[in-house]
Amino acid sequence: MANMIRLVILQAVISFSFLPGSYSASNLIETTCKQTPFFDLCVSSLQSDPRSSSADVAGLAHIAADNVNVKATATLQQIKGLLEGATDPELQKALQGCVDKYNAIIQADIPVAIEAIVKGNPKFAVSSATDAANEAQSCEKGFANPPSSPISDSNKDVNQLSLVLQSIASLLL
Amino acid sequence: MEPSTSHDPERNSAFYAPLPDHPSSGRAPATRSRPLKGFVVILASVVFLLSLVALIINQRQEPLPTPNRAPSASPTSKPASFSEAEPRGVAEGVSAKSNPSLLNEVSFNWTNAMFSWQRSAYHFQPQKNWMNDPDGPLYHKGWYHLFYQYNPDSAIWGNITWGHAVSRDLIHWLYLPLAMVPDRWYDINGVWTGSATLLPDGQIVMLYTGSTNESVQVQNLAYPANLSDPLLLDWLKYPGNPVIFAPAGIETDEFRDPTTAWLGPDGTWRITIGSRFNDTIGTSLVYQTTNFTDYELLDGVLHAVPGTGMWECVDFYPVAINGSVGLDTSSLGPGIKHVLKASLDDTKVDHYALGTYDPATDKWTPDNPEEDVGIGLKVDYGRYYASKTFFDQVKQRRILWGWINETDTETADLKKGWASLQTIPRSVLYDNKTGTHLLQWPVEEVESLRLNSTVFEEVLVEAGSIVPLDIGAATQLDILAVFEIESLESNTTDEVSDCGDGAIDRSTFGPFGILVIADDSLSELTPVFFRPVNTSDGSLKTYFCADETRSSKATDVFKQVYGGKVPVLDDENYNMRVLVDHSIVESFAQGGRTVISSRIYPTEAIYGAARLFLFNNATGVNVKATLKIWEMNSAFIRPFPFEET
Repeated sequence: MANMIRLVILQAVISFSFLPGSYSASNLIETTCKQTPFFDLCVSSLQSDPRSSSADVAGLAHIAADNVNVKATATLQQIKGLLEGATDPELQKALQGCVDKYNAIIQADIPVAIEAIVKGNPKFAVSSATDAANEAQSCEKGFANPPSSPISDSNKDVNQLSLVLQSIASLLL
Repeated sequence: MEPSTSHDPERNSAFYAPLPDHPSSGRAPATRSRPLKGFVVILASVVFLLSLVALIINQRQEPLPTPNRAPSASPTSKPASFSEAEPRGVAEGVSAKSNPSLLNEVSFNWTNAMFSWQRSAYHFQPQKNWMNDPDGPLYHKGWYHLFYQYNPDSAIWGNITWGHAVSRDLIHWLYLPLAMVPDRWYDINGVWTGSATLLPDGQIVMLYTGSTNESVQVQNLAYPANLSDPLLLDWLKYPGNPVIFAPAGIETDEFRDPTTAWLGPDGTWRITIGSRFNDTIGTSLVYQTTNFTDYELLDGVLHAVPGTGMWECVDFYPVAINGSVGLDTSSLGPGIKHVLKASLDDTKVDHYALGTYDPATDKWTPDNPEEDVGIGLKVDYGRYYASKTFFDQVKQRRILWGWINETDTETADLKKGWASLQTIPRSVLYDNKTGTHLLQWPVEEVESLRLNSTVFEEVLVEAGSIVPLDIGAATQLDILAVFEIESLESNTTDEVSDCGDGAIDRSTFGPFGILVIADDSLSELTPVFFRPVNTSDGSLKTYFCADETRSSKATDVFKQVYGGKVPVLDDENYNMRVLVDHSIVESFAQGGRTVISSRIYPTEAIYGAARLFLFNNATGVNVKATLKIWEMNSAFIRPFPFEET
């Protein structure tokens, strides 16, 4: 009898702990991510940031911008590393083009997007996110195949994260 | 979220699941505790059920009612992992949310020569860095003044200050030092857009939006330090700033861009500031003031239109019916209509509507509610935003400025070191002939740039043909063209009903027009054209379009088909005026009833390789074109020569 009560209480505690605070936070993330082209990526990339549990849509947009920045920064490092070891002039040309594009993402697109989100002028965040997506895609297309792109996955990630940012920022318009 | 009411086997089976540790007969319960034990069992079961229900609710993903406001970034499911957004390609404008379509080609290699060519010869732009909205335009002591949102540090938006330039004639601009910088807590995050009011006693008041240290949008007052300085070099900020905070019910990041003030019949001033209600209802609030430091929010709003979203850069001004001059912003009375214009944040398009202002109630009503602000006419059907007018008291004109930003990549802007242009200022008049449109026309002073001219009379352009026009240099042009059509035979196949996919889409009566910034081999070209279309009642409806889709071989620039309807009256031929200035093309149809601004970034059709052609890609008409084409001089826009005074 007592054990049954204990079991029920334990069950209740476990179940109710999914309500209400974390429930509504993940609900906002889900609602928001449904309005992006990459739901799973959006959800996982937002949830991996602890700020997301208490963020409003603008906060989620800010996190999305930070996510692009992190991935783009890592990709730029990757590109520079490849450039050091590259001997094929076509490959070097493509990689150098990518350096320029990723510099644009990191030094221009992301700072402008974050400033726009914070200051309540979201249209600049939308256009910057659009540009970041295009820069990543343009970098990928710079590989004439041959040589094929050594950074396809990274370019894809930056492109998709940028489109997620673009969609979330559009919700602020 | 509704609790699940469907039959759930998990819940039911749990209900019947055997419970562990079923009390055996080890302890004989006292008779009195039996009802208590039953109560506890029921309570526990209820708690157990509710907690399971909570768990189930949480795990379900229910369809959400929120409409999907994502931009047109729907991936075309290519096997490769990249998402390519289909550009909207809609004739009647473009969304800033649309991605450029990056084709499956190797990315383009820009050269410095290509970038240098892109700078305009006679459109206003700073020497370098980023510009956006035009601000506080005015005329004072012999000089036209233009202020503009400016980043002094970089070719991207940020660190926003007020740039400043002056001109005798709205064309030959001289750069001055920055007028205002973000140096107060109330504008430290941006000295944003604002407007000037010239008072009858000669004072100038400038109202502008500041983004505060907490990113709150407030309205601030500034005025010239020295009114006797024709150059208005120095500006002072009112010590009591901010003068207006967002009222209750308005978000602090949705309250910006105060207008020029107008005088009411009661002798007090009014301004209007754009905002929105409930996310989707665009609106403009009205404030009353006598001294420009103290403001009272009036009840109600000037106007509101559902579904239009945030209204930025609201502009509100009178135009004279049957008039040939512009009107002072405070003009009232019979024979006057008021224009209400808003820049829609959602779509990055400037819209206007004609209507009637009631100064007793401070309300404006559109002439045609179906063409209300934001859902009807556009100020410009191309790449154009944040426009603002002012009254030129010397020449009695209403002058319109508009911001044209880049449509290339950020990488390119950083390499070029600059971004954005302003249009050539346009004079604005009510179109007496239609009664439904404004007419915009480049200010006459632009004609001072005209060098030699070439005339072509009644050139026949047969259906499906192109005629080269031999004019010499073709990157800086002022083109006036008139077209007459002669029907060949009637066509009963599918008609393209608007700008379509550009000049490549053939229909019976169009497209016909000119190809600007084209090279000899037509590997790059920008058609500006008319497309008259049959309507079901037998009349012709005409579209005026600018087609950027083949403007450049580069794959990383935005190449859109822009355009809109243009009324063509029975006694009119098809006429267009096109200003070509390197990477900007401004196209005016029927005297300025429909205007399109375009940005193009050719790679071959530059410098001496640029050409001009006539074309007619219609299937059912021949076209006769008469043109007068001027080569345009540079405006030599440069820093003010202080040392020469």
